[in-house]
Amino acid sequence: MADEVKLPRLGQGMEAGTITRWLKSEGETVEKGEPLFEVDTDKVTQEVEAEVGGTLLKIALAEGEAPVGQTVAWIGEPGEEIKEEAAPPPAAANPETPEPSSPPANLVREVTPPPSTNGGRIKASPLARRIARERGIDLAALRGTGPEGRIIAEDVEKAQAAPAPRAPVPVGEVESIPLTSIRKTIARRLTAAWQAPVFQLTLSADMTRANELVARSRELNPDVRVTVTDVLAKICAQALMRHRDVNVQYTEDALLRFPTANVGIAVAAPQGLVVPVVRGVERLSLAEVATARDEVVGRARDNKLATQDLEDGTFTISNLGMFGVEQFVAVLNPPQAAILAVGATVDTPVVRGGAVVVKPMMTLTLTVDHRAVDGAEGADFLRTVKQFLEDPALAL
Amino acid sequence: MPELSYREAVRDALAAAMRADDDVFIMGEDIAEMGGSMGVTQGLLDEFGPERVRNTPISEMAIVGAGIGAAMAGMRPVVEIMYEDFLTLSLEQIVNQAAKHRYMSGGQLKVPLTIRTQGGAGWSPGAQHAQQLEAWLVHVPGLKVVFPSTPEDVRGILWSAIYDDNPVIVFEHRLLYPVKGEVPEELVPIPIGKARTVRAGTDVTVIATGPLVHRSLDAAKRAEEEGISVEVIDPRSLQPLDEDALVASVKKTNRVVVAHEAVERMGFGAEVAAVLQYKAFDWLDAPIERVGAKFAPLAFAPVMEQFVVPGPDDVLAAIRRTVGR
Repeated sequence: MADEVKLPRLGQGMEAGTITRWLKSEGETVEKGEPLFEVDTDKVTQEVEAEVGGTLLKIALAEGEAPVGQTVAWIGEPGEEIKEEAAPPPAAANPETPEPSSPPANLVREVTPPPSTNGGRIKASPLARRIARERGIDLAALRGTGPEGRIIAEDVEKAQAAPAPRAPVPVGEVESIPLTSIRKTIARRLTAAWQAPVFQLTLSADMTRANELVARSRELNPDVRVTVTDVLAKICAQALMRHRDVNVQYTEDALLRFPTANVGIAVAAPQGLVVPVVRGVERLSLAEVATARDEVVGRARDNKLATQDLEDGTFTISNLGMFGVEQFVAVLNPPQAAILAVGATVDTPVVRGGAVVVKPMMTLTLTVDHRAVDGAEGADFLRTVKQFLEDPALAL
Repeated sequence: MPELSYREAVRDALAAAMRADDDVFIMGEDIAEMGGSMGVTQGLLDEFGPERVRNTPISEMAIVGAGIGAAMAGMRPVVEIMYEDFLTLSLEQIVNQAAKHRYMSGGQLKVPLTIRTQGGAGWSPGAQHAQQLEAWLVHVPGLKVVFPSTPEDVRGILWSAIYDDNPVIVFEHRLLYPVKGEVPEELVPIPIGKARTVRAGTDVTVIATGPLVHRSLDAAKRAEEEGISVEVIDPRSLQPLDEDALVASVKKTNRVVVAHEAVERMGFGAEVAAVLQYKAFDWLDAPIERVGAKFAPLAFAPVMEQFVVPGPDDVLAAIRRTVGR
């Protein structure tokens, strides 16, 4: 059979070359070592010598780019049979590349396996085999670019980069944890919540005074541990009283507008997420909010909540600031119309009076059910929350 | 650091050992007044006298046999075989006596004999004076075989050979004698069995001995211009062999060329290739290439001699084959 002339690797890292000119034409006799064609790599133009002598039977790629290892011509005895591979498409980078001229009638065109196979045995270096074995790569799918079409390590490395089938990562036995009823409830309610057309509003508030308020409250009444969440609950309740259209529950037939702000606090209890409600927060002092919140959250953590602890909420606060989360989007807690996602308070450079100063800033993201509340209403409510946080006295 | 030729470095080691230790003496053909046919022992007769710098009859068997006897009697003789081609005449003594007595006496006898010899092509000495026969002796348990390639190495390794309690064959190469190199001010012994990385590289490891170390360095420089980074390692000691150093390098480069001036067939390179394919099989990314003399007697005619003996071009071609060029 005729010998294939392959595009050689002319330098480390060379993956393709562009044939610019053939120095021999089809039918011409070629001596071993005679220059055969010229190749442009990204570095140089180089003459490629014939590795065998004979007649240049056919040029498969007259001009244009080809990957290293691709057969570009055949050398053999005149009239000898050529086993041609399915010609790969010309590189997209060279749309003007002329198609290889159609083969003479005496050529037998048949699809052969990749050149690295030889009677079923895949020609690959031991290193290539080891890498392929370790990474679960099928050598049969690779094209070798080493000497005589051998698959070398570089070929396997490249296959690795491609989205090739990979061996499954060994894992331990998969544990099946039956869903608890609370987990099922969480799933059902959040899936339902996901159906709601919501929008999000985000702003940051300067927490200087709110923090002072927390510190001062603790100082005055060490028995009650007031937290930022309590301040938020109280302030949101005051804001809800001023924006009663946000203090609603959405039902199929009607919006239920509540006379009191019943604020839910999202709690990561051992059994799962629960949102116990502190009722009538607008009527409670900060210390009372703290006490009520502490009591109900404590029962949530002890898994001792009663049904009524979870009912009649009109608004929810979800605070992940203690985890360092700076900003996130909470999923609506139906039938409530809004939920506030609270991030960490972070010292941040901000501009005050034309100068950059560092302030403890907290980012708030309000998720609003658009079926119940429109954008301007939601924004107005959130602005009030910001004002109250930055100047808690305004909440009086 | 002072510069010595390879020849001077050998002489320096001999003289230093003879000064340090009365048990060390040298024997060989024409080594006294003439200073040896290669001039290595010039001047030693004047310093150490005819008792310790002894001319011998032309009988390699007798030279080595006398050396073995003296060694077993407590001396540290260094005998010179003028050409390694003539080592063949002393093989009975080396293979059956020197290599065996320590073992057969259950350790009661030891043979701290050093046999220096030289050979090699490149100056048209003809078929009977140009061979490289080191592989013959690597095959014999009980012998140590070294082949230093630089003045520093030959000085330090010859010293270690003299003070080794086993027979050590030191192969020198005719073309290396005039090669100069820097050596430490004081003689620094170099342990037998440690390879030396002559040049660091990342793509191909060339494991070369004797003059091929220098020819491989030439080839490595040219390969560098083509973007191939070549590591050159000189095992220095063929037996024992620093397998760890060779394997470590191959695990780094994944490609190997073994190069020596001796005939390729059954040469030292065949053993190295076998060791590496076994110990580093899964790290090889190309067949191990061997470079050695063609399977032919060496001709007087320089052109024919050069055709048979491997040069830098042959090493470079092998380097290129390993990287698929």
